[in-house]
Amino acid sequence: MIKIEHLSKRFGNLEVLKDVSVEIKTGEVISIIGPSGTGKSTFLRCINLLDHPSGGSIRIDGVDIMDPKSDVPKVRQKMNMVFQSFNLFFHLSVMDNLTLGPIKLLGMSQQDAERKSMDLLKLVGLAEKAESYPDELSGGQKQRVAIARCMAMDPKIILFDEPTSALDPTMVSEVLSVIRRLAKDGMTMAIVTHEMDFARDVSNRVFYMDEGVIYEEGTPEQIFDNPQKEKTKTFINRIRSFCYHITSPDYDLYAMNAEIEMFCEKQILAVKTRQNLLLLVEEMLQIFNPFLSSLLLDIVLAYSEKKEILEVVFEYTGESVNLLDKNLLADELGLTIIQGVTESIDYRHMGNKNRLTMILKSA
Amino acid sequence: MRNVALTRLSHFIKFLTITYMTIEIKKESAALVVKVAGRLDAVTAPEYEKKVNELIADGEINFVVDFEQLEYKSSAGLRALLATAKRIKGKSGKILLANIKGGVKEVFDISGFGTIFPMHDSVASALSASV
Repeated sequence: MIKIEHLSKRFGNLEVLKDVSVEIKTGEVISIIGPSGTGKSTFLRCINLLDHPSGGSIRIDGVDIMDPKSDVPKVRQKMNMVFQSFNLFFHLSVMDNLTLGPIKLLGMSQQDAERKSMDLLKLVGLAEKAESYPDELSGGQKQRVAIARCMAMDPKIILFDEPTSALDPTMVSEVLSVIRRLAKDGMTMAIVTHEMDFARDVSNRVFYMDEGVIYEEGTPEQIFDNPQKEKTKTFINRIRSFCYHITSPDYDLYAMNAEIEMFCEKQILAVKTRQNLLLLVEEMLQIFNPFLSSLLLDIVLAYSEKKEILEVVFEYTGESVNLLDKNLLADELGLTIIQGVTESIDYRHMGNKNRLTMILKSA
Repeated sequence: MRNVALTRLSHFIKFLTITYMTIEIKKESAALVVKVAGRLDAVTAPEYEKKVNELIADGEINFVVDFEQLEYKSSAGLRALLATAKRIKGKSGKILLANIKGGVKEVFDISGFGTIFPMHDSVASALSASV
């Protein structure tokens, strides 16, 4: 249905989309997820030519819509868009919002347009609001009207740009249930969303976008349960991380502790977890201390909100050597404490770096 | 943004005003009570060891170390404790520990130091055992 090849978009020197190639088939529901500012909305706006792509091609049912000869308004009739901020005509009643497009652009009679609009308002549960004005509706109701207005044009595909982001949490579910209903009816949709549970339930495929590319794509199971790439894993597991660089033996333990405590406070970690973390880091630094003049050490804390796991990584330069090797230790006291506060310890040598990864015991 | 700024400010103030370790000495008839408060870690352990060594040099050989207000202890603190205990025992003296609890007790338990040092629930109990 839609075939996108090598799509790119620049705003001045800023390259927002880089070489995006993807195909969306009839009946598919695609969720587009990823951190803010990674090109998700721009991607949708380019498909709809609301933002003109800088390069590449977009074919809809075989027609290249970027061809200067293509009839853009006609193309837009095939794919309508629902915006974060509703974009309703506030001076028109709900009914007039729905009938305007079909009458003006599709040449439908007033009577037919009103009949169809009423059916669509029933579909989104707002038949009784037909004569109301947008200002008289809640956010959730406005968005449901926007979806009905979109449907009034008989689109082949609907593009949703964060349809619930501007809504109070209490109103999110009413909008999502309407979108779920459309999915069940076989409507082709591409949805930019931050509602992960919704994306998982409703989609056939999920695109994870990062740095202007579709970084990873797959079924909801592949993306949410078994992401393959590092950034996808970080995003899906909602990992918050903190990195501290140690470049000399004269590091300031208390300045570092203050930063670690600040990280723990942000993640709302239990007091005991904080104490164990500070203990682990100090014990590790005592073991590293004799070598700190000859290596660079990065301490990375990564907290997975979803799994409630705190991972602590000690990455250091130099030839392959596990500094927790008992044969290298003056005594095993520090190691015993480290083992006492961790669930697991894993050593790997990758490239020219050594990596000790530990999972802290939960409080 | 405002909350993050306030949190950072409160950490900075805490960082400026924190007392890392204090040691108070009180002479009792049975022993010298050394009250250690705050943190006994890689930074403060040498100070603790130096202070106790000075007391040993002054002729003190019986100690009760009160950890009632100790918040944090690492292996560096345990090593300092062990080093001073060896000196005290070398002079046929005695060192007893009191009020070990919470996270500090866990470090003693994990490291096995809980079985090395006699531990008491209170300074009074430790002083009675010192006699």
